[in-house]
Amino acid sequence: MADLRVSSVLRLATEAVGLGWDFGLETLEALAWVARTVQASVYISDSLVRTDKGFRFALANPPLRIGAFSSLRVLVEGVPIPPEQVRVRLTPAGPWKVSSEFGTEHPLELQAGSGIEFDTDWPIEAKSGPVRIRLELQNIAIPPLVWMEFRETPREIPTP
Amino acid sequence: MTSPMDRGPSSAPPLLLTSLASAGLGDGRGDLECVRESRGAPTEWGGVYAQLVRLTGPWRIELALGDAHTDLPSCRQEAGEFPGGWTSRHRWNDLDVVQVVAASPQPPGVVRELFLRSGSDREVSVVLTSRFSPYLFPVLVEGIRPVELVAETLPDSLSIRHLGFALRASSTVGSDRTLRDGRPWLGDKYHGPMDEIATVHTVRLAPGKTAEIRWQICGGLGRDLEASLSEVGVRARPAKDVAALRASDDLRWTASTPELHFPDAPELEAGYRSARAGLRRLYSAPDASMVGLVAGYPWYSAIWSRDLAVMLPALLWLGDFDWVARSLRSVFRFQSRRNVELLAGEPGELPMQLAPGPIFLYGTSDSTLRFPAVVEQMHRHTGDLTAVRDWAGSVHRIVEWGVARTDLATGLLRHGGEAEEIGLATAGLARIRYGIDSPDTTIWDSADRREHALDVQVLWWETLRSAARLLGHATDPDRGSTCEARAARLITTIRAKYLWPEQEYLYDSLRDGAPVARVRPNALRAVSAGFFDPGTARGVVRRAARADLTTEWGVRSLSADDPGYDPGAYHEGQVWTIATAWAAEAAFYAGDPDAGVGLLRTIVHRYEAEGGLANECYRGDRPEAFNSCYLLGFSVAPFLSLLFERLWGIYVDGVERSVRIVPRFPDRWTSASIRHLRVVDGYLDLSWSPGRLVVRWIGNGPLTVDVGSGPRSVPAREETALELPRPPET
Repeated sequence: MADLRVSSVLRLATEAVGLGWDFGLETLEALAWVARTVQASVYISDSLVRTDKGFRFALANPPLRIGAFSSLRVLVEGVPIPPEQVRVRLTPAGPWKVSSEFGTEHPLELQAGSGIEFDTDWPIEAKSGPVRIRLELQNIAIPPLVWMEFRETPREIPTP
Repeated sequence: MTSPMDRGPSSAPPLLLTSLASAGLGDGRGDLECVRESRGAPTEWGGVYAQLVRLTGPWRIELALGDAHTDLPSCRQEAGEFPGGWTSRHRWNDLDVVQVVAASPQPPGVVRELFLRSGSDREVSVVLTSRFSPYLFPVLVEGIRPVELVAETLPDSLSIRHLGFALRASSTVGSDRTLRDGRPWLGDKYHGPMDEIATVHTVRLAPGKTAEIRWQICGGLGRDLEASLSEVGVRARPAKDVAALRASDDLRWTASTPELHFPDAPELEAGYRSARAGLRRLYSAPDASMVGLVAGYPWYSAIWSRDLAVMLPALLWLGDFDWVARSLRSVFRFQSRRNVELLAGEPGELPMQLAPGPIFLYGTSDSTLRFPAVVEQMHRHTGDLTAVRDWAGSVHRIVEWGVARTDLATGLLRHGGEAEEIGLATAGLARIRYGIDSPDTTIWDSADRREHALDVQVLWWETLRSAARLLGHATDPDRGSTCEARAARLITTIRAKYLWPEQEYLYDSLRDGAPVARVRPNALRAVSAGFFDPGTARGVVRRAARADLTTEWGVRSLSADDPGYDPGAYHEGQVWTIATAWAAEAAFYAGDPDAGVGLLRTIVHRYEAEGGLANECYRGDRPEAFNSCYLLGFSVAPFLSLLFERLWGIYVDGVERSVRIVPRFPDRWTSASIRHLRVVDGYLDLSWSPGRLVVRWIGNGPLTVDVGSGPRSVPAREETALELPRPPET
């Protein structure tokens, strides 16, 4: 992973120099605005928290696509969590829904700025280091699967 | 007061106000709010857009008199567009309100103005609250609303920024107070998330007098906004003045375009005017160096190269040579010079999407291939070869890009995997990764049509043919001949590999050397390109006309008999107007003008039903727009081009100062005419009756006209009557 990251960063640097040379430095600045926004505006950093039964996390925006989603899967290190063990609610005050309830007739509806909280019954080991979480969403109108992945060390639930 | 999400989508046509650098979107009920079904769910698209950046979400204005309050939709009496703008009348508690709204190009944004008059015989104070949600992000990645904004009040306006994007909100009546997310805010610098900003204004109404208040929200790129405001100031011009400028520009533009008359088909005349007006709304010049047309509204309000290339031929027929040349320069400016894996760019490739910044990315298989034919057509219509060497060089870089993607054994262009390449390139870079498992990137980009979709091969052939012609003009015969040879080989391969005898149709694609047996309208592109003999062409057109592919409201993206058919899936069953246009074009080519005109009428019926807008697509099982932009260039431009290229049968070769005209009107038609068709350095008026064409050419020197019986020199400023040969039996 570290090797991949180093080589990616080097490639990014090389390509950035090329883009700046070909199209001007303003290009690099503007593309960085988009990249920074996409990175910062979906997954809410440090929202991954261990709970008594599993973990929870939150998004501030839908990942890449809006609309109606007939299915939603959460995977931990590549292992899918059974949908009846995943609950979702739109923030700030939507009702919790179990992800197994979603379907073509009862889709999860997301639009720009829709915050989403996830709560699972899927324990993850304490102090195990970063965990890879993947979301997969199936839109009812456009078939290809939409996904996002993040890797973070879960925080412990604060004791009262 | 009810929120628009609670009220639900309006059944009325949406309100779409555009300038060259901005747009205002509403539902026509009184505020700039607009809930539309998008990707299957209701979504709010109302607000202000500028420089292809969505500045705001819904923008609402509320009124209060004492303890009573209301909003504009709740007290609306009437509303409607006027040239360049939109107005609404409201009455509430003895108060008459007239609202005028217009989109302003400079500074880019929207102006809203209220004229208030009270029926009371004493002075009353009306409290007006303007509320909007800041967005500040290009409509580039759908569904992202920034969570970090910087806001502060300045002496003359309210400023909100997100990285390099910015907006300013101002009014002609100072605000009593400002609310941020419902709480009083003194206007000191704030950094963080923000759902809503509201400014509260008091307007005193003297008996019998009219008072006015004007708001403006403008923005886009921060650096451009500051430059624009330093030039024109923060104070908004009256909305009627802004609208009048737009109306005057539109009038001048319309007057420069041809007039078409079809006495035997007046609905086609109306369709022409409607499509022309629709295309005009898409004109965009979001910054000083970027010109084009946005793909559509509401959610494709960016310059998408694929869509632009489909629209530009229509602009050539409408005579706007300058806009075509500037649009092409805008796109070719970003032709990739090297491998840029992070943006999925390869040498020679053109961007998929453009926005001020400049922001652009690559990564489609077909966008680049659509431009050589447009460049070649521009040279044919203008006859201007002064820069042809440069254009030929740029187009040849596209050929080299295509050759690198070509299967050596067959000469077929290979596509697919572009999106996956971006994923691989960014794999190690970001802590958070996103993706759409879209393995292919043709015009039906949510469908997997790898590896050699037939319509992509048609585009590749058009690229090679156009490059050969341009290289010929640029006196580069060697490279031109190579392109011609490749094009000829490609046709041979297509004829050998795509015929589907069982269906009397054409395979959709080839994968792993085997045909992909799916009935899609894309195959009709090969008929219109002239690859097949008349008998085969007629058979394919007949097959496409069957009910599994063709409905009363248009042509499906996939046959309803296909196991993968889904009437609600974007490219796996929905009806697309652009596919209807493909079918019409193929029918004209195959010698069936009645079928062609019938399909054009199908398109016009959609325009009529949609109040002059033109939806992107419809469900496959009923004539209901679904997951559809309500105005898309794809749905108007091909219709316009077809009227000239196929119904009138006009082919312009301005380089040779010649025009070929072979009309394909239905047998029962008695007359048709065009006035003011721009060709090379002049204009053509054409008047057709059965067997006869009267040509009037207003230009410098004679023009050669061929109506199918050989070239004939037509002198300038004289009417020349030409006898039309009988069309060949088909």
